[in-house]
Amino acid sequence: MTRRLLALPAAAIGAAMLLPLGSVAQEKAAFDPAAFYEQRCAYCHGPGGWGTRRLEPRAPEGEAELLNRTSLPPAYTELVVRRGIGAMPQFTPTELTDAELAELARWLEDRN
Amino acid sequence: MSVLPPGIDAATFARALDEFRAAIGAEYVFASDNDRASYLDPFDIGEQDAHATSAALAPAGVDDLRALLAVANRYRIPLWPVSMGKNLAYGTAAPAMRGTVVLDLKRMNRVLEVDEELGTALVEPGVSFFDFKAELDRRGSGLWMSGPSHSWGSVIGNALEHGVGYTPYGEHVEQICGLEVMLADGTLVRTGFGALEGTREWQAFKWPFGPGLDGMFTQSNFAIVTKMGLHMMPEPEGMAGVSMSIPLREDYAALIDTLRPLRMTGVINAPYTIANGWRQMTGGRTRSQVYTGEGAVPRERMEELLAERGQGWWSLTFNLFDSPEGLDLKLSKIREAFAASLPEATMEVRRWRKGEPQQAWMRQDVSLAPLGVVDWGGNPGGHSDFGPVVVPIGERAEQVYAIIERRFIEYGKDPWIGMFGISSRALIFVADMFYTRTDAGDTARCRALFRQLCEDMADIGVGLYRTHIRFMEDAARMHRWNDHALPALNNRIKAALDPNGILAPGKQGIGTWEDGE
Repeated sequence: MTRRLLALPAAAIGAAMLLPLGSVAQEKAAFDPAAFYEQRCAYCHGPGGWGTRRLEPRAPEGEAELLNRTSLPPAYTELVVRRGIGAMPQFTPTELTDAELAELARWLEDRN
Repeated sequence: MSVLPPGIDAATFARALDEFRAAIGAEYVFASDNDRASYLDPFDIGEQDAHATSAALAPAGVDDLRALLAVANRYRIPLWPVSMGKNLAYGTAAPAMRGTVVLDLKRMNRVLEVDEELGTALVEPGVSFFDFKAELDRRGSGLWMSGPSHSWGSVIGNALEHGVGYTPYGEHVEQICGLEVMLADGTLVRTGFGALEGTREWQAFKWPFGPGLDGMFTQSNFAIVTKMGLHMMPEPEGMAGVSMSIPLREDYAALIDTLRPLRMTGVINAPYTIANGWRQMTGGRTRSQVYTGEGAVPRERMEELLAERGQGWWSLTFNLFDSPEGLDLKLSKIREAFAASLPEATMEVRRWRKGEPQQAWMRQDVSLAPLGVVDWGGNPGGHSDFGPVVVPIGERAEQVYAIIERRFIEYGKDPWIGMFGISSRALIFVADMFYTRTDAGDTARCRALFRQLCEDMADIGVGLYRTHIRFMEDAARMHRWNDHALPALNNRIKAALDPNGILAPGKQGIGTWEDGE
């Protein structure tokens, strides 16, 4: 399931409109949790990734990979992403806004 | 728990935050506990709170930045500029001085130009290596990125911090060609030929009429870099990936002396990486899986493990870049040199030709692999690097290596040591201290080890390439010649350009407001 944020931050629209010719808009047009997960999380949390391997002894059997979790409370995901845990550094609000993080956390929970 | 900039009371700081909000929008001023926590150093060598930020500000561009500087100057609030804030093992996004406000430039994230003809690019601070690679792929660029071992960081940040990559363009600071910087008073300056209106040469030539200033804005706090030009490598016709194993600890000086002429004549035309026995054994596992005794894992245990894998004490890896015929010639010269000096060394070679699918050993894809070693010393783990710069002369490199190995063992730490053959004439050592972050005794021991090594190196005239924010003063003090004349000059420049001292106080030991620990 992929939900999209309906409202763009006004500043993101402004920045995109003011780009000089030849430059590329890299402000996200809309947040896609599945794409973000693939681009920023799966390197470590995909099959065989370091995050998956470190979670093997701690997660329920067969659930070390985050996408295989039967339960992953959004509040926990939000805390871990903002604070980091173990070898995982945290994400700042400029990398992932609070609204985007909430969306990502809900997506992870809903798909499990 | 709230944190305040030094000398600012809570009511004054609240007013300043309101002014910052008015300048760039409330949603880009981060002062909640959760937000501030995201700017702590996850791998700090001690209490993270010692380097906690009081808030973070995220300008969208140079106009926002100028408005923030005006407020910061008025209130004398120190700012710590970060581009991606992923300077992992060196402080991440955390400021040297507790309470400094992080100036997060992530929103300034445009790839402004990629010039396929000249092999140059112009980027903003918030462009990560992930972003840059994606943009080059999107454009179908014929230029290759030279990335460091982890791709989360900023292209600008890495070059400004003198980071290292694995291509002929791997000395990233050398690829800088033209900067746009904002001074503390809000003045925007372009260095080099960027100072001419309508220039086509800004990214082409580093030495303009008058002094070349790019270097003074690297590892410094004299200004905020808002754009950076860089040179980029055209896709090569072919590559060879070389992995060598050299049997004995005692082979080290001969290894360095064998490599020097190969690197100096361009036979090896990209940085090489050397790893000692301890370093070879850390990848993808934890220390307790190989040793549970006290102190450093003994060399004999490491030799046992290496023997099980058929590996020698030193590993050497590098990539060669040339046409297929050129690669043949290079490989033949390398084999000849090693046959004469280290005949027991073994060599494996992989090849790639333009048009074939890329492979992992080519290091052209983005990566987060180094995060896998962080837990070597315990969980939650952390690491920090001691990085002296040493000439690639066998006798000198052996002198430095022997001191570092001995001190690590003396302090009970595994001597995880490698070197980058960054250029023809310099090796950068990377001696990693791994620790359990929650073990105060362990982190204190690492800090003491680091400071001991600073003394040891300064005594033989060896300086550092980069340090964690905790050791900025220690590393700066090593520059003793003529009564510390160079650090004193840095402070004079700082006072002239930033009289209120608001930009990154304490970075590289410059413009420090207070003593460290």
